[in-house]
Amino acid sequence: MGAAGIVLRDVHKAYFKDRLEIPVLAGLNLEIAPGEFAALMGPSGSGKSTLLHLIGGLDTPTRGSVRVGDSQLESMSESALTAWRSRHVGFIFQMYHLVPVLTAAQNVELPLLLFRMASSERKRRVQTALSIVGLGDRTDHRPNQLSGGQEQRVAIARAIVTDPDVLLADEPTGDLDARTSEEILNLLNALNTEFGKTIVMVTHDPRAAGHAGRTLHLDKGVLDREEVNTRRAATASAS
Amino acid sequence: MALPIRYHWRNLLVRRTTSALTILVVTAVVGTLTWILGFFLALQSSLSVAGDAHKLLIIQRGTTSETNSAISPEEFNRLAQLAGVARDPESGEPLISPELYWQTQLPRLRDGGATRANVALRGVTLRAFEVHRNIRLLGERFSVGEPQVIVGRAAAAQFAGLAVGDVIRIGVGESREFRVVGHFDAGGGPMESEIWMYLPAMQSAYLRNGYSSVSVRLEDPASAPAAIEQVRSAPIELSAEREADYWRNQTSNVRFYQAVCFVLVAIMSLAAAFALANTMYASVAGRAREIAMLRTIGYRPHHILLGFVMESVLLSLIGGLLGCVACAAYLELVGSTKDMFGSSTFTTMAFDIRLTPLLVGWSLASVAVIGVIGALPPAWRAARTHVLTALREP
Repeated sequence: MGAAGIVLRDVHKAYFKDRLEIPVLAGLNLEIAPGEFAALMGPSGSGKSTLLHLIGGLDTPTRGSVRVGDSQLESMSESALTAWRSRHVGFIFQMYHLVPVLTAAQNVELPLLLFRMASSERKRRVQTALSIVGLGDRTDHRPNQLSGGQEQRVAIARAIVTDPDVLLADEPTGDLDARTSEEILNLLNALNTEFGKTIVMVTHDPRAAGHAGRTLHLDKGVLDREEVNTRRAATASAS
Repeated sequence: MALPIRYHWRNLLVRRTTSALTILVVTAVVGTLTWILGFFLALQSSLSVAGDAHKLLIIQRGTTSETNSAISPEEFNRLAQLAGVARDPESGEPLISPELYWQTQLPRLRDGGATRANVALRGVTLRAFEVHRNIRLLGERFSVGEPQVIVGRAAAAQFAGLAVGDVIRIGVGESREFRVVGHFDAGGGPMESEIWMYLPAMQSAYLRNGYSSVSVRLEDPASAPAAIEQVRSAPIELSAEREADYWRNQTSNVRFYQAVCFVLVAIMSLAAAFALANTMYASVAGRAREIAMLRTIGYRPHHILLGFVMESVLLSLIGGLLGCVACAAYLELVGSTKDMFGSSTFTTMAFDIRLTPLLVGWSLASVAVIGVIGALPPAWRAARTHVLTALREP
C-alpha cells in the first residue's frame, strides 16, 4: 500500500464527565502530506493522544471532519472503522502491548489472522516484517525473553506486517533508554524514508521530535505552532 | 474465529493454579454427571430388555406386584381357556408358566458381607424356559426334584455365597439347603437379579401350594389387549399386564431418584458454571490492555467474545475428559454393577453401568454447554471493553 495523506477540518472533541463537558480539541485544522513524518508535542491534556485516536479511527470527533487517504472517518460506523484500521493503520504503543504468551512471530502474525491468507504467505510476511526491524533471528522468543527495545521492535513489526498506509506511534520511546530510543527512532525514520509510510508520532521528548520532518505543537486543543526540522529535512534529502 | 487455539491454550497455562482449580470443580461435576447418566441408561436398558412384547404377566386382581399376589391352583387352571396363547411345537402344550415369587436375605459382596439385602427367589417349571426366551443358561440347570438353584448373573455379582457349588439356606426358618448348580443370563434384564429353582421344591420349602404369578407367551403381540381383557373378565378374573409395563411400574421409584439426582447435578453444574465464570472474569480483568490492543489492530467484539468462550470451553472439556476418566476409574475400582431397590418388589435389582461412547459424548456435550454458559457474561464484558480507557491502564 502507498502512503496516505491526513486532513482534519474544524475538529472538535469533547468528553463528558458527570454531565460536565470537557473540551479537548477545539476547532483543530491540520494537514499531513502522504509520506510525511510528523511529531505531535504539547503539554499533558493538550489533546495529542486524542488527535492520534481520531486519526486512527479509535474515536470519532464531536464535530468536524477527519480524512485519512480516501476515507472520511467521521461518517463511518464503529464496525467499518474496525475493518478500516486493520487494513490502513499500524499502531505503536509506549508499552508495546505484546501478548506475553505468544512468540515474537506469533505476535506479529496477529493482525494477519483477520485476513484470508495462506499460512505460507503469512509466515513470509511475518519473517519480512521481523527482518525489517532487525529481529529475523528472534522469531521464537517470547516477550519476556526480549529487551525493551526488542519488544518495541516486535510491536513495530506487528504494526507494519499488514503494509498499512499510516503508522501512529504514541510515545514509542517513552519507556526506553536514550540509546535504545535512538535505535527505535532511526527505525521509524527508515520506515518513513525507505518505505514511504506516513507517520504521526506523539512525544514529550524534543530529541525524539527532532527525528520527524515537522513538529506540531498543540495547546488547549488547537494547533499552537509548527516547526520544520531542518536537520531531518537535510538528512532526508541527502538519503 | 480469528484467534488461534494456541493463544487460548497458553493463556490457560499462564494461570495454572486458577485453571487447575476450575478443572477440578468441572471434573467432580462431570464425574458425578457421567455416573448418574450411566446409572439411568443402564436401568433403562435393563427395563427395555424385560419388555418382551409376546409376554403377559398375570397376578392377583387388586395387587400391584408378584410380591403380594397369590393365585390359587383353581384360578391357574382357568387360564387354560385363554385365547391366543403360543404352544409348544412338539407337545402342543400352551406356553403358560406358573411361578412362585419370594425373597430371602443374603450378604452383599460390596461391603464384604457386612449388610444383607433382599434377593428375589423364583420357583418355576421347565415351561418357564420356553416362556422367558431371554434366559440363557451359563452352566447346568436345576434338576427336577433336587434341592438345586440357578443364579442370575447380576445376583451372583451382588451377593456372597452364590458361586457354583455354594449352598444357600432358604425356606421357612431357612431350614432347607439348596446347592447352586449354575448361573444364567437374562440379557441384562431384571430377572438376572433373581435366583431360580424348581417350583414344587420352592412350594415345599415355603409351605405354599399356590403361585404368585403366571407368565404367558402369546402367539401374536397384537392379541395382548384382548388377552388382558379376557384375563380381567369372568370367569378368570385376574389382572394382566404386558411385561414391559409391569417392570416399568415396579421401578416407578426410579423417577423420584432421577429427579433428585438431576436436581443435584443441576446444582453442581451451576457451581461449575460459576467457577468458570469467576476464572474467566479474572482473566478478562487481567488482560484488559491485551483486549484493547486486539481491538485496536482490527479484532471485532465477536472475535473477543468467541475467544473467551473458547478458553472456557477448553477448560471445561479438559475437566470433562478428566471427569470421564475419574468415573471409569471409580467403576473399575468399586465395580460397575449397581443395584436398586424395587419399590414394589422389595428386592434388589442389579445392572451394569457401562461407560459407552454415547455416554462420554453426552457428558462432554453437557460440560461444553456449561463452559459456554459460564463464559458468556465475562466474554460479553471483554467484548465491550472500552478500548481507549483500557489502553491507558497502568
